[in-house]
Amino acid sequence: MDAVEVPLKAPSFSADVPASEIEQVERALIDASTRLPVLIFYASAILWLLLGTVIATVGSIQLHSPGFLGNISFLTWGRVHPAEMNIFVYGWASMAGMGTAIWLMARLCRTVLRHPLLIVAGAGLWNLGVFLGTGAILAGDQTGYQWLEFPPYAALILFVAYSLIMSWAVLMFRFRRSDQIYITQWYLVAAFLWFPWLYSAAHLMLFVVPVQGVMQAAVSWWFANNLLFLWLGAIGLGTAYYMIPKVIGRPVHSYHLAAIGFWTFALFSSWTGMQRLVDGPFPAWMITASIAATILTIIPVATVGLNHHMTMADNFQLLRYSPTLRFTVFGAMSYTVFSAVGVLISLRSVARYVHFTEASVAYTQLGLYAFYSMIIFGSMYYIVPRLVGREWRYGSLIKLHFWAAVYGIGLMSLMLLAGGFVQGSGMNDPAIAFSESMQSILPYLRGRTIAEILLLVAHFVFAFHFALMLFGLGRNASVPTFLNPLEDEGEEAPV
Amino acid sequence: MKGWKPLFLGLFATFAFSWLGLALVPNFQIGHLDPQSDEEGTDVYPMPQSGMAERGRKIYTGNGCYYCHTQQVRPEYSSSDIARKWGDRRSAPRDYIFERPVLLGRTRIGPDLSNLGKLTPPDDQSSPAPASSPVGSPGASPAPAAPVASLDSRPTPGATPAPYTEGWHHQHLYAPRSVSSDSIMPAYHFLYEKRRISGNRSDDALMLTGEDAPPVGWEVVPSYEAKCLVAYLMSLDQSHSLKEVKSNTPPAPPAAGKAAAK
Repeated sequence: MDAVEVPLKAPSFSADVPASEIEQVERALIDASTRLPVLIFYASAILWLLLGTVIATVGSIQLHSPGFLGNISFLTWGRVHPAEMNIFVYGWASMAGMGTAIWLMARLCRTVLRHPLLIVAGAGLWNLGVFLGTGAILAGDQTGYQWLEFPPYAALILFVAYSLIMSWAVLMFRFRRSDQIYITQWYLVAAFLWFPWLYSAAHLMLFVVPVQGVMQAAVSWWFANNLLFLWLGAIGLGTAYYMIPKVIGRPVHSYHLAAIGFWTFALFSSWTGMQRLVDGPFPAWMITASIAATILTIIPVATVGLNHHMTMADNFQLLRYSPTLRFTVFGAMSYTVFSAVGVLISLRSVARYVHFTEASVAYTQLGLYAFYSMIIFGSMYYIVPRLVGREWRYGSLIKLHFWAAVYGIGLMSLMLLAGGFVQGSGMNDPAIAFSESMQSILPYLRGRTIAEILLLVAHFVFAFHFALMLFGLGRNASVPTFLNPLEDEGEEAPV
Repeated sequence: MKGWKPLFLGLFATFAFSWLGLALVPNFQIGHLDPQSDEEGTDVYPMPQSGMAERGRKIYTGNGCYYCHTQQVRPEYSSSDIARKWGDRRSAPRDYIFERPVLLGRTRIGPDLSNLGKLTPPDDQSSPAPASSPVGSPGASPAPAAPVASLDSRPTPGATPAPYTEGWHHQHLYAPRSVSSDSIMPAYHFLYEKRRISGNRSDDALMLTGEDAPPVGWEVVPSYEAKCLVAYLMSLDQSHSLKEVKSNTPPAPPAAGKAAAK
């Protein structure tokens, strides 16, 4: 990791400069203070992403060809699958999200990052926690609760790491130099406060003073859904609220709309989760409440979507050039798709067919990947050049990453959704033998493997590109890397 | 938004509201259930599992079996679970009060296992009674040691054991496609030991044929873990009637089955 001495595009000339230049120096200083921790978070996240994708591909192949690597105890599907999900959630999504959040917080609070070493230590511990947890899962020591498969000792390490990391957020927020709290900050502060509550509440109720019987399932679904919405989802939405206006150079269309979107998001999405237990051994009101909340999430989705759309208005041609914008807008649009699918499969009449099928996996993938990860990729394309002082080397590689990821996740969602409906309608007809209904989705599962391979390509391309940047091999240029050559110089994106 | 106080307050309130509604209130409602019993205090259901079955639950969990197999029967009006003979009645919270972790499952790549143990043919239940139906043998705490002896699988080489017997479960776990040709379940070879036959063939050796069979002079025997796993699988039984759930079939057959098991 060299190129440490390059702050930003030559900010320092002399003292008698306009205010905009002073601002630039200030930004360069802030960026310099976040450089080390954020890059460590990103580098770890990308390594986890690669490992996770490789393991996911193995798991995907095993689903339709059960003999594949299956005779080794730690590669049996029942261990590979949770290992992959936990690597994805805690290794990739959480680490990359925290990296982006640290950078955004410092920029928005207009304050340098204090005690960066604390965060670096936190990142190291977090990596250790994910590593130990994944090892435990592969060794056959998973706990049996969704997204909490890490044994308590690994979770404890994660929690300690998290408190180290969170201390900066409180510090930065405390020392912020602007009265106005921007929309992105609402989401980030929310995510950083909700996560420890959520994580410790779930651990208390499952491991320390365990609740009885089926309540464990309720708590673990409550946790998993809130982790997806209130932790990852909040970081993703907050990031989109920063990146879209920033790249196109216009303020957010409506602050008021954003506030409505934020509070309805907090209120309704936190009540979802139980719809995944539909018709299970629970009081019906719990499930109905969650279905109602899922339907009500249309309100935040519509307001956020409308707000982004109005901000973007007349600037859609910029999607041709800016990598950040393209990834972020794809992610923001996927948020709408993700929620629409969520509403659809939660309705009792539909759940009758898709409950217990691959359709619910498609829903999770849409949220984790098409919505969240794509926005985070976008933010990395924006932030990394500002940290290493170079621009991305090849526009073509960014394009390859984008299209492989889009086709990959698109194909995967389609395959799993269609496969889920086929599987579900077969399962729902008692005249069809169960094994027959399973055989009918094998073609879809093979299609999913192709999707995984596309994602594998996307992630290796991205990791290679990131490594180039890390080792100072980025372009030394004053304009950002565009996806396509600019047709009209006047339309240059103010990236 | 100005000032951080309304923000923090709002964040706290929304989160607390969700926790209260989806975790705390339901916990008051269904988090402190007791087993049911009849007037004389006998026929207690459910009973805690012990010994090998409980150990088997850990192996079931550790190998992620619950990712593909659910353990919940949905009501008749909303699914075909009962028509598929996965149970006589829907599952209720009381069925799970002793389970930790609770393994309701979330996808069905394989069939539901709520009542797998009930499928064991009655004549096989005679030998490892505590393993196959710990629910049916209340009070006998030292019982779990018994199945180690595993008297049942008298080898008749070449023949596939009768479905859902202990021997069948072992063969199914070791070579799923040898008992169900289009199964996509992974094979759990690592729960079995392949060893050279010294002297006589072991009583509990698997009766494998074709490509799954070990070379001549070798045998495949279940490890202790595999035996625990099978004991757990054979203990899965929600057929006992519950006061709060209407049973699909008249309550007589499950009750009769229970009596026979005892």
